[in-house]
Amino acid sequence: MRVACIIPAFNEESTIAKIIQGALKHCDSVVVVDDHSQDHTPEISQRAGARVVTHILRLGAGAALLTGFKIALRTDAEAFVTIDGDGQHDPEEIPSLLQPIQDREADVIIGSRFLGRHGSMPLHKWIGNKFLSIAASLASGVRVLDSQSGFRAYRRTVLDYVMHSQRDYRYASEILILAARGKFRIKEVPVRTIYAARRRRGAGIRDGFKILYSTIRPKSIGQPTMTASER
Amino acid sequence: MEPYAIAAGAFGAAMLVFTTYELLRRKMSLLGYFFWAVLWSALILIGVVPQFYSALLLATQALGMYTPLHFVTTFSILILFAVVYYLGKRIAELDDRLSTIVHHIALQNANIAAVNPGKGKEKLLEPRSSS
Repeated sequence: MRVACIIPAFNEESTIAKIIQGALKHCDSVVVVDDHSQDHTPEISQRAGARVVTHILRLGAGAALLTGFKIALRTDAEAFVTIDGDGQHDPEEIPSLLQPIQDREADVIIGSRFLGRHGSMPLHKWIGNKFLSIAASLASGVRVLDSQSGFRAYRRTVLDYVMHSQRDYRYASEILILAARGKFRIKEVPVRTIYAARRRRGAGIRDGFKILYSTIRPKSIGQPTMTASER
Repeated sequence: MEPYAIAAGAFGAAMLVFTTYELLRRKMSLLGYFFWAVLWSALILIGVVPQFYSALLLATQALGMYTPLHFVTTFSILILFAVVYYLGKRIAELDDRLSTIVHHIALQNANIAAVNPGKGKEKLLEPRSSS
């Protein structure tokens, strides 16, 4: 199975090379979408073996992922893996994400930080993620424990029919709701969470409220162009 | 003439000159110029002829307001809210357009790099097989 990995990145020069090298062990190609970094993320990514696409302005993680999906869909990959560029996820766990797709068990696989060991997750993030996952579960009708995880795998057909519109962190819930509405099978597998002692960015409290609002507001989520059963 | 009247008149005149200059530089539409010109002229008028307020008395009484000042402040705030609403909507539209352009440029650059893999940029795409 041909696999493309997509990494949205903004100022990740300290971690991106390791992530790319790790991802290349399990994926045929790696696309880094540089969301207008102010450091050497694009150059380092290119040297590490990734294909780099650059946004001329910073749009947000969701927008970077959208560009990555559009680029990756032009390749002949059958599955896509998304992973954060900040070193929060271990690329060595990519095979366990891809396994349910290979076994035809599921179409969207979420690397769940709550099924694995999540001891290093800060308490406020743990509480926020729990709230947002409950909201996403209610909105999608599918029980998910970690709706905000950026470490995921998608079968190609999912992205052919499901494409998010949110430019910021709201994309994570939106994709799940769209996939559930499209009757694609969603599964979670445990992954480790690696939180740096001094993590600079990530979704904050304000983002949390925005995600919650867009999740419970039906108008903010569209419909997939086609459902799994219609294909 | 009271100092506040001089200040209001001078400010209105300066802004009218600036707005006219913007129109002549083609940085403003005629409709926009008309709106602002009327506003600055009213400010000058209030400064030079403070009795102008009493001309509003009829409208004030018709609307059941106590003084012309109530009329001016109430409608100014309403208009400002309308302007803020319009600007917010316009900014959201422009933000969407900007996002579309950034996506488009990123995808276009990816295409160029795929066509010219050896010219300064790494090959970005593998074309999908037709089978």
